[in-house]
Amino acid sequence: MKGRMVALSIPGLLLPGVAWAAESGKIVDPVESWNHLWHEVLIDLFIMGTIFAALAIHWLIKYRATSPDQVGRGPTLSRAQAWSWAMVPAFVFMADDFFLAAKGWTVWNTYRKVPENAMEVKVTGNMWYWQFEYPNGATSTYAYDTKEGDGLMVPVGTPVVLRMTSNDVIHSFGMAEYRVKEDMMPGRITYIWFYPKEEKQSWVTCVEFCGTLHSQMYAPVKAVPPAQFDAWLKQKKSTL
Amino acid sequence: MWHRWMVGVCALIATFMVTTAQAEYFRQKESDLDPKVFWIDEKKFMGVKVDPALELLDEQGRVRTFKDFTGKPTILIWSYFTCDGSCSAVNAELLSLLMETKLQTIDRDYQVLTISFDANDTVGSIAGFKKKLALPEAMVSGWHFALFKDPDQIKPVTASTGFKFFWAPQDKTFYHPNVFIFLTADGRINRYLYALINTPKDVGLALIEARQGRFKINEVIDYAIGLCYSYNYKEGRYTYNIPMFVGAGSLLLGIFIFIGSVLFYRFRKSREEG
Amino acid sequence: MKMSTESHGFSLKEWVFTTDHKRIGVLYLIGSIAAFAVAGIMAIMIRIEQSSLGPTLVADVATGGNQYNVWLYFHGAAMILGFLIPGLTGFAANYFLPLMIGAKDVAFPRVNAFSVWLFYAGIIMALLTFVVSDAPDVMWTGYPPYSVLTSGNTAFYVFTVHLLGFASILGAVNFLVTVIYMRAPGMGWNQLNMFVWSTVTAFVIQLVFVPVLAAAVTMLLFDKYLGTHFFDPSQGGDVLLYQNLFWFYSHPAVYVILLPALGILFEIIATFSKNPIFNYKAAVYGGMWGIVLIAGEVWVHHLYISGMPDWIRIGQMVSTLMISVPVGLLAISMFGTLYRGAITYATPMKYATACLFLFLIGGLTGIPLAMTVMTVHLSETSFVHAHFHYIMGIFATFAVFAAVYYWFPKMTGKMPGKKLGDLGFWFNFIGVNVTFFPLFLIGVQGMPRRYWNYEMFPQFEPIHKIAMLGALIVAVGMFLTILNWIISAIGGEKAPANPWKSVSLEWTHCPNPPGPGNFPKDVTVSADWTPYNYGR
Repeated sequence: MKGRMVALSIPGLLLPGVAWAAESGKIVDPVESWNHLWHEVLIDLFIMGTIFAALAIHWLIKYRATSPDQVGRGPTLSRAQAWSWAMVPAFVFMADDFFLAAKGWTVWNTYRKVPENAMEVKVTGNMWYWQFEYPNGATSTYAYDTKEGDGLMVPVGTPVVLRMTSNDVIHSFGMAEYRVKEDMMPGRITYIWFYPKEEKQSWVTCVEFCGTLHSQMYAPVKAVPPAQFDAWLKQKKSTL
Repeated sequence: MWHRWMVGVCALIATFMVTTAQAEYFRQKESDLDPKVFWIDEKKFMGVKVDPALELLDEQGRVRTFKDFTGKPTILIWSYFTCDGSCSAVNAELLSLLMETKLQTIDRDYQVLTISFDANDTVGSIAGFKKKLALPEAMVSGWHFALFKDPDQIKPVTASTGFKFFWAPQDKTFYHPNVFIFLTADGRINRYLYALINTPKDVGLALIEARQGRFKINEVIDYAIGLCYSYNYKEGRYTYNIPMFVGAGSLLLGIFIFIGSVLFYRFRKSREEG
Repeated sequence: MKMSTESHGFSLKEWVFTTDHKRIGVLYLIGSIAAFAVAGIMAIMIRIEQSSLGPTLVADVATGGNQYNVWLYFHGAAMILGFLIPGLTGFAANYFLPLMIGAKDVAFPRVNAFSVWLFYAGIIMALLTFVVSDAPDVMWTGYPPYSVLTSGNTAFYVFTVHLLGFASILGAVNFLVTVIYMRAPGMGWNQLNMFVWSTVTAFVIQLVFVPVLAAAVTMLLFDKYLGTHFFDPSQGGDVLLYQNLFWFYSHPAVYVILLPALGILFEIIATFSKNPIFNYKAAVYGGMWGIVLIAGEVWVHHLYISGMPDWIRIGQMVSTLMISVPVGLLAISMFGTLYRGAITYATPMKYATACLFLFLIGGLTGIPLAMTVMTVHLSETSFVHAHFHYIMGIFATFAVFAAVYYWFPKMTGKMPGKKLGDLGFWFNFIGVNVTFFPLFLIGVQGMPRRYWNYEMFPQFEPIHKIAMLGALIVAVGMFLTILNWIISAIGGEKAPANPWKSVSLEWTHCPNPPGPGNFPKDVTVSADWTPYNYGR
């Protein structure tokens, strides 16, 4: 970890907010962290946008020409003024950048720190479906045309880590509900994890363009009670 | 800035390495065992995590978990310590490759872990095996040996990494792939290389790759070297990542055209005036 | 060749073989508007297709993708490579850059003529999409392995990139040499028009980065047709490298579009506010050159979800966020130029004013997309789609339209029709916001990009209907706008010499339209002259 900090020297020094939240053993739900950060970013954008927009509207109305030959009386900046009008905004923007970068990095660490007890599911992308393989060897899939198959079944209350690869072209595994996505590439392995906290059916969609049936490459993600999941897994295993 | 600099370094290194790499490229290795017999369907096993809670016995006979042996990129070797018929050659092969590779340093950057899949091996057999292997001083601290605590786990655990072996009583020997399994710092399988078809360069590159992009700033050259090659599944070794060089080289094209145009313009103007 | 511009009447041969930068500029404009029109029709078809869950225009579920993906490909490739880049750096730079610096022509007129031929060849190559049986369906990005495995003819994509890219490189060297050596006597670097600076910086980016894209797509071509394995991971290729090379050019390409668009807006805002540029040096050296400096270090934000090492993802989050510094400086200069101005609202200024707000929305929504972890959810959704349409699509398109309106009297000698022009503007401005703002909302909720079939998300259907309505409003606006140009060019009222009362060289020193050699008398400028010194 130290290596990474050095490699990022400047931001690394300015990041007080980086904490390894997951280290305490409590699972930090990425969805909550994401939503929280999104809220903060929106406020940030709203403030900046309002300042610029309000000034622009004010000036656009106030400084309308009163006669066709009128010329503007815009200020001529002295050297010092010109420098301050460059440096002060630059530092303000930079400060905001570092603020956002620090916040973003903290949540990113949550995303990359897979909880120890996570259940591992292997996902293989194909044109145009996914195959899910569970630790006991059971597999599951989903067909867009017949709508058959269970897709990705997961037990509520257990973090799930997906070990992903592809058999043909690049796909991407996007679960909007769990605020996470990552590409799956032939010859490479990528990971994401998520934390199904309540019973719910959502969707995973392929979000990297992968050809003719790209928009039919989706599957349900079903978070079910652990007992139901175990029964399902056993039944899947027996039909292998 | 950072990345362009790296690409530049990458291109530079490549020119230095061309000569040595080519020498290695054409070196033939002899083999009496066809490695294809035990070829591992690597795409199926890449990313697999060896159970971190797996209990092993170390050289002193202490119980350690597999996780205790991870923490830095690791070359995992499934082997055996006692020679009934023939001795395991895979460790010696790796040793000779590691002696030659300059890309990474044992113990500092990575470690080697040899675990016996022979249920008859004991803690006592490790010492004899180490003696025969004759590890140089510098490698002792980075090369670990271990046994399964529970012999019943040997089959399922080795199989979970795609590793197959069987005992041939008439030859009094184990048949198994001579494979080096490269693990990342958190114990996931990142690459397989076969002993007899690989070079010190391949081993070094696989070690660099097993670091998964985690480099300190003074190790940027390692990272750049890693970028210059990419793993070739078909040939089972690393080959040049040509698009990297083409891409870096093409950066110069526009700049050359521009310089040429300026020179031409000045030449034309001086001719018009003079 | 004879100097035959004196003769009246139209001669096709004179136009085809012209080496006059003004005519070349007009040829670029016509070609890029043609690409824009066809790509615009694709856009409307895309919006109609998405207006209902299942197949709307496409035949059926199993093969619908084949049609839809070709529309997406053509829309993206033609808009970016065939309209925005040539419209801004081909048309606007060709026609006005030499006029602004007081030059009689460009440094290499015949190379310039060759580049416009290449451009037309590229446009034709792109249009062949609708003729060949297996049209390219690889998006404008052409990621392998799909672009290699597809039955579509990726070659048309590759050759389109080659032709348009090479046309652009020739333009780049030409204009850089022109600006360096052919400025009017007395014109220092700090007296250049903002548009000239923006073009210079855009061309520097183009010159350095275009060859990387050309190299990447060439290797793609080899992989598909010659059996090489540059990007095939099973045979030693690197599956992710194409994306790195592609975005290494294509993110800077965004600035190749952004910078000249901003340059045009600076010209228009200064002229219609009758004000000098607020903090000119900060905008030029901090803003424009700042962008050039950072342009090559941010491409990984297009690969935030592609399994890159963490430190690169985090490092480029920081460098991407830092883009806000030069862009912020440019924004302050642009907004500041309004301050204590004497603002009038002719049609070009209406477009420029609209651009201020499009710039804000498009720019600010880029901030979450710079943040790695935000992008993990937002990337490849309608949020991204709406973001870059605001900043790159609409903002830059409005800048091109503003440029045509602003310099219409210069190019044709006629005034552009005001009523029809304003009507077209309001349709355009309202339409684009109705189309794209709602897409932000469903993007955050996870509507994937490039989907025509979204049966799993029926809740997004109403928003798509609104977006289609917006697209139809835009279509009316675009039709009115282009109609207005044609009507005004043929029968518009004669323009006064300097209708907007600008003090820039192209308005003060040459007639409407300028004849051969541009300036009746050689231009020299004094040390205290600037293109913006209104009333001082």
